[in-house]
Amino acid sequence: MATTFEQSTDAIIQLDNCQKYFPVTKGLIFQRSIGQVKAVDGISLQIREGQTYGLVGESGCGKTTTAKMVLQVETPTGGLIRFNGKNIADLDAADRKLYRSSVQAVFQDPWSSLNPRLKVGSIILEPLLANQPMGKHEARENLERLLRDVGLHNFHADYYPHEFSGGQRQRIAIARALSLQPKVIVLDEPVSALDVSIRAQIMNLLKELQNRYGVSYLLIAHNLATVRYMSHYVGVMYLGKMVEEAPTRELFTNPMHPYTKALISASLPSHPDIQREDLVLSGEVPSPLDPPSGCSFHTRCPFVLDRCPEEEPVLRELAPGHKVSCHLF
Amino acid sequence: MAAIPVLDVQGLKTYFFTRSGVVKAVDGVSFTLMPGETLGIVGESGSGKSMTALSLMQLVPQPAGRIVGGRILFQGEDLVQKSQSEMQEIRGRDICMILQDPMTSLNPVFSIGNQLVETVRQNKEPHQASLMDRAIELLQKVKIPSPEIRMSNYPHQMSGGMRQRVVGSIAIAGAPKVLIADEATTSLDATIQYQYLALLKELQAETGMSIIFITHDFGIVAKMCDRVAVMYAGRVAEIADVRDLFNNPAHPYTEALMRSVPNVDEEVEYLYSIEGQPPALDNLPPGCTFAPRCPYVFDRCNEAFPDLIQVGDRHSATCWKLAGK
Repeated sequence: MATTFEQSTDAIIQLDNCQKYFPVTKGLIFQRSIGQVKAVDGISLQIREGQTYGLVGESGCGKTTTAKMVLQVETPTGGLIRFNGKNIADLDAADRKLYRSSVQAVFQDPWSSLNPRLKVGSIILEPLLANQPMGKHEARENLERLLRDVGLHNFHADYYPHEFSGGQRQRIAIARALSLQPKVIVLDEPVSALDVSIRAQIMNLLKELQNRYGVSYLLIAHNLATVRYMSHYVGVMYLGKMVEEAPTRELFTNPMHPYTKALISASLPSHPDIQREDLVLSGEVPSPLDPPSGCSFHTRCPFVLDRCPEEEPVLRELAPGHKVSCHLF
Repeated sequence: MAAIPVLDVQGLKTYFFTRSGVVKAVDGVSFTLMPGETLGIVGESGSGKSMTALSLMQLVPQPAGRIVGGRILFQGEDLVQKSQSEMQEIRGRDICMILQDPMTSLNPVFSIGNQLVETVRQNKEPHQASLMDRAIELLQKVKIPSPEIRMSNYPHQMSGGMRQRVVGSIAIAGAPKVLIADEATTSLDATIQYQYLALLKELQAETGMSIIFITHDFGIVAKMCDRVAVMYAGRVAEIADVRDLFNNPAHPYTEALMRSVPNVDEEVEYLYSIEGQPPALDNLPPGCTFAPRCPYVFDRCNEAFPDLIQVGDRHSATCWKLAGK
């Protein structure tokens, strides 16, 4: 039974029990399926208008696969994604085009996400010109507005990407994502490749743009501090499943799931006098090829109960908007 | 204060001579490291923190890079004067290094056991047990489960966290006096990083070695270090005991950097951000290198680079603001 949403009115994108299973094959010509990797296993979330949804988890937890499904790079093998209430798998050609221009992305590494052979002006305008035919003059106006929005100058349009620093390249990537006036931007680790003093610049820029244009973000990050600063709502993923979801303040002041607690306990302190509850997780994330039975976190959980290896917990709402999947509650 | 520092670096200068000019990667860095102490060197990319570490190991990329000045006194001997073969004896035994990416520090075509045995043999230690036993013992020290089986594994068969543990075991094989961790946990996941940092602390308590953390992350400094040097554009901007630095940052760069880092522990509405970007090292501004980005800049800042000014007990910073106007 899929989770029901009480405030689904302002949700722009809604994931409903989404799954992505990748087949694992053996053999070169006659490929036999020998199993599957459940990269994403029943994720439900909603991205609300003008808000940021932060998705955290360690590598391999499926957060990037989730982002790829939203970007239509991967097709879900189960469940559905709704855009303004419509299932994106059944969109007609015109609506699909609208969806693709309404959902844009900014990636982690601005060194590989910009074409080195194009000038910055062409990079930023490429999506716009591909979608809306326009005259030279109008294109130039748009370009100048976009450059101004991200804090670059007009003359930068004639430079090549290699002439910029990491922070400026990320600004170019943001300008390109903004060019189609999207409803949602998927931010996949947008600041983790940048220097410390530049990160705050880019995060503040993203927040300003959100206030100005009301764009929503799906933020994928592993750094809890970044997620806390940027997000309105946070989902914590572990081995393809959502283990806890709550409004940001609620999640950080009242974390419930042992994995969320461990993540917060493992995050580095901002002052040497801060002593955290010592919650060391033993071992590593198990292989998604062969996930543990029952609750997939039971192999590392410090509070494991008898029923945990046998019975899979369901995501239940324990406080308004605060959902946890754990047998402890 | 009677203890003798294990490492005493004075006025270290490492320059790169390139076609477009001299790049002053490290320009007059001084610090001392006491036995058992943990020093953090923090800075952004290009601040010279990694090049400082490579200079300590005498591994500056040749021929462009050269140590052109200063002394590195290790147990009273100047490492700058040592020949490569003399350094070979010190590197890997007395001073060791753990790098960011364990996949590139380990050889992909030899098994873990092979690489550990090679290290143990190199160290020529008078150990009773056989080389294999010693290697297994090292893996146990870094808490690798079932080390006997892991010995025959190749690096690609292990996870990132496990690989970094193997690198750690190779580093501590020679019971080093100084361990340099250059962004050693940056590529690890949060919970794995936490385990690894705890492991390093345990090993330090056991062996009494000194650790230098080269990092961009103030969190690692807050968690692990006793003393901190903040680097900017090849020089030490501020050096202090960790609590002094966090409680009263004296240099505007340190202060700004701390205010620009988001925080897990509290809600921040708007982060302070330092405008602009670090200067190019082959074209430094004439005065203070931070002056173009500094909110407190005044005339003197553009004229000369400030001296290291004492602001407290074991706490100094290079800023004219502190000298009195």
